[in-house]
Amino acid sequence: MSISIKHRRSVRLLAAAAAATAVLGLASCSSGGDGAVGGDSANDADAPNATLTLYSGQHEELAKALAAGFEKDTGIKIDVRAGKDAEMVNQIIEEGDKSKADLIITEEPGPIAELDSKGLLEPVTKEALAEPDQRFVPSTGDWLPWAARSRVYFYDPALISEDQLPDSILDLENPEWKGRFAYAPSGAFVSTTTYLINTIGKDRTLEWLKAIKENGVNERSNGKVRDSVEAGQHEFGLSNHYYWYILAKQKGGEQNLTSRVHFLNNDDAGALMLASGAGVLKSSAHKEEGQRFLTWLASADGGQKIVAEDSPQFPLAAGVTSSYGLPSIDSLTFPEFDQGSLEDVGAAKDLLKQAGIV
Amino acid sequence: MIPGLLIAAAALAPAAYLLLRAGFSFSLLWDELDSPSTLPLLWNTVKLLVLVCLCTAVLGVGLAVLIARTSLPMPRAWTVVLTLPLGVPTFVGSYAWVAFSYEYFPQSRLIFGLGGAVAVLSLTLFPYVFLPVLTALRRLDPAQEEAARALGHGPVPVFLRVTLPQLRPAVATGLLIVGLHMLAEFGAVQMLGYSTLTTAIVQRATVLGMPESARALAVVLAGGAIVLLFLDRLLRGRARPVHTGQGTPRPPRRWRLGWSTPLWLLLCLAVAAAALAIPLWVTVSGLLRHLGGDAGAVDWQLLRDATANTAQWAGAAAVVATVCALPVSLLAVRYPGRISGAIERSTWVAHALPGVIMALSLVYISVRWLYPLYQTSTLLVIGYVVMFLPLAVGSQQVGVAQASTRLDEMSRSLGKGPLATFGRVTVPLSLPAIGVGALLVALDAGKELTTTLLLQPTGEKSLATALWSTTNGEVLDFTAAAPYGLVLLLIGAVPAVLLARSTLRA
Repeated sequence: MSISIKHRRSVRLLAAAAAATAVLGLASCSSGGDGAVGGDSANDADAPNATLTLYSGQHEELAKALAAGFEKDTGIKIDVRAGKDAEMVNQIIEEGDKSKADLIITEEPGPIAELDSKGLLEPVTKEALAEPDQRFVPSTGDWLPWAARSRVYFYDPALISEDQLPDSILDLENPEWKGRFAYAPSGAFVSTTTYLINTIGKDRTLEWLKAIKENGVNERSNGKVRDSVEAGQHEFGLSNHYYWYILAKQKGGEQNLTSRVHFLNNDDAGALMLASGAGVLKSSAHKEEGQRFLTWLASADGGQKIVAEDSPQFPLAAGVTSSYGLPSIDSLTFPEFDQGSLEDVGAAKDLLKQAGIV
Repeated sequence: MIPGLLIAAAALAPAAYLLLRAGFSFSLLWDELDSPSTLPLLWNTVKLLVLVCLCTAVLGVGLAVLIARTSLPMPRAWTVVLTLPLGVPTFVGSYAWVAFSYEYFPQSRLIFGLGGAVAVLSLTLFPYVFLPVLTALRRLDPAQEEAARALGHGPVPVFLRVTLPQLRPAVATGLLIVGLHMLAEFGAVQMLGYSTLTTAIVQRATVLGMPESARALAVVLAGGAIVLLFLDRLLRGRARPVHTGQGTPRPPRRWRLGWSTPLWLLLCLAVAAAALAIPLWVTVSGLLRHLGGDAGAVDWQLLRDATANTAQWAGAAAVVATVCALPVSLLAVRYPGRISGAIERSTWVAHALPGVIMALSLVYISVRWLYPLYQTSTLLVIGYVVMFLPLAVGSQQVGVAQASTRLDEMSRSLGKGPLATFGRVTVPLSLPAIGVGALLVALDAGKELTTTLLLQPTGEKSLATALWSTTNGEVLDFTAAAPYGLVLLLIGAVPAVLLARSTLRA
């Protein structure tokens, strides 16, 4: 039949493609599971053969650098799974006690405090908790603060001078600021909201959020707050110091940026310093190795060195200074509070919804 | 029937998860609907969906008519060029536009908001309408139009009253895909600063840690999918194309463009440039910066692994989806009825769910009942199949509908059983359409981001997730991302070119 001749070539092609992809697919499936775990221990007889799995809400490159550094110092291998804080926390909650995660590191204190409040974290050893700046250690002692990010303004000096910037983010509810600044409902914004609820109360916070929604431009992510201020679209934006220093490095130095960073340097909620957390999961089969990671992460010549070199976050161990040209953490003023107290993010989320921001 | 029911059950599992997962209740759903942010979000979603559907319909039908029915030069080359936008992931295309806008028009906010989102999404997605309409136009028998012309109707009324109605099923198929995609779209809309139900869902699930609220809103999206499926039925109409064989219609008369030819060429060029040139330009200039030494050496090992993973996962998804879709398409076309119709419709629902919801549902289901599969590439491929099955089903149905039942009957009367007939007559006759379906699945699976991030085996990456991991999680940096972006665009071009070629062959 003419029909079958016409299609014979495509039949053969499709069949070959199908067979090839099926074989490849199967091959990758079988190597995708646990296949990789056994292989590496042969070259180092002393290395413990546990491979830890780290769920990371931190930027992937930093998480990988930490994993590599830990392996180099201790011989213990870490597989990294990266996503956003809440994504990783959700995944752990959906996995329940079968979680594949041994460790979690986050960007924000809120999500890890939430895991803590669900009873999913092991207490951290005293040894590890003794290392960081004590102002950041949560009162429960179930997770380790190992880096910090400061809330700041990014501003465009061509549009507004530094001394005109508001001293308090609470001032932003005044009509004079309408349309002049950007913000993003990020994890840190939720933390700020929680902090405000704890300090000025729910009703006042809701009022403020409604005014922010009215007056500000929602750029949706901190990265876009930074880029839009850098492009000169807003006079200033609320964000984390972190993003600006990353861009400065990409562009070959602060002098190549048009925008500037402003630390509020006072007791205002806009100056919050938020801790990144690390914890060992109760469901882990390798808790001992997990605790070793935390101790290593907290120590000045372990993880803190990598934080200082590879990330513009503030390292928290005494005597370690960032290579990104950050002001020293001791030179800054910021509100002091229990980082573990941001666990009840439920109220903040309700208010953000009520204000129509998320 | 039984395989069909099983496939429908698998396809509906993510939607069932939304309703059956502990923590869901209708009062929660009601609370969500009642919250002040929800209605505006819903309204935003509807506006985006309607406008993108309108624009893709106009672009898709218009360009297909231009290519199939006018004297436009180089119709074959234009078919390929105008199919290529399908290979551009929407999050790459949209951020390329944002980066372009920041760089050259720093003060402009033109690209942001509803207008920008509609423009960028329509430019990427119109081939979903363009391709089936082009195929349909090439198959139409010009005799009907000639008869209408002979009866004294002008060319425009003939097109509107004779040609266009016959294109309805093709337009409906394309628009259903585009519409469902709009319900699920996140990356582009987020980058372009527009809020929809889906951006709220993803924000709640990934940043704010409000999974219950995210799931409740996703139920609304699933409801939206059902509405779209009904609308699709209306748009499709009752007409069924009847073909007695694979005859070759005479080529229709082409409209002479004459002096306006350059204008139309310019239009095609503008569409191609907007959809392709901006992402390519941003990626290539990023690559040059990268090679200039700003971002360190290219990680060739990762690039190679990610490319291999992408090809394998997308290829496997295409094959499995094709096999799973066959019984569904056959049932729907050859045994039309309530049950087979419901089975076919049910495969579409998951296409409207945001990737993060799909991923969380698969995490939940696999951890409880399929633990050995959890965090293996098998589960990821299953996820792709559930998400992109409708692309295969939609395409196969067209092919099976056009494969004449008479040849089936002949085969049966010659003593072949139903399976042999299916394998040796129906499938070969529908093969081009089956191939198109597989290519569409491979294309979408190859550029999928959100679900892959949550389901990929620990330590392995696709090109899309490798690209994403250079972004610092917030905005694309085209310097570090450039190598992955470029390979992603190139590898996406392969199925797109094959698609265009199979459309031209059909």
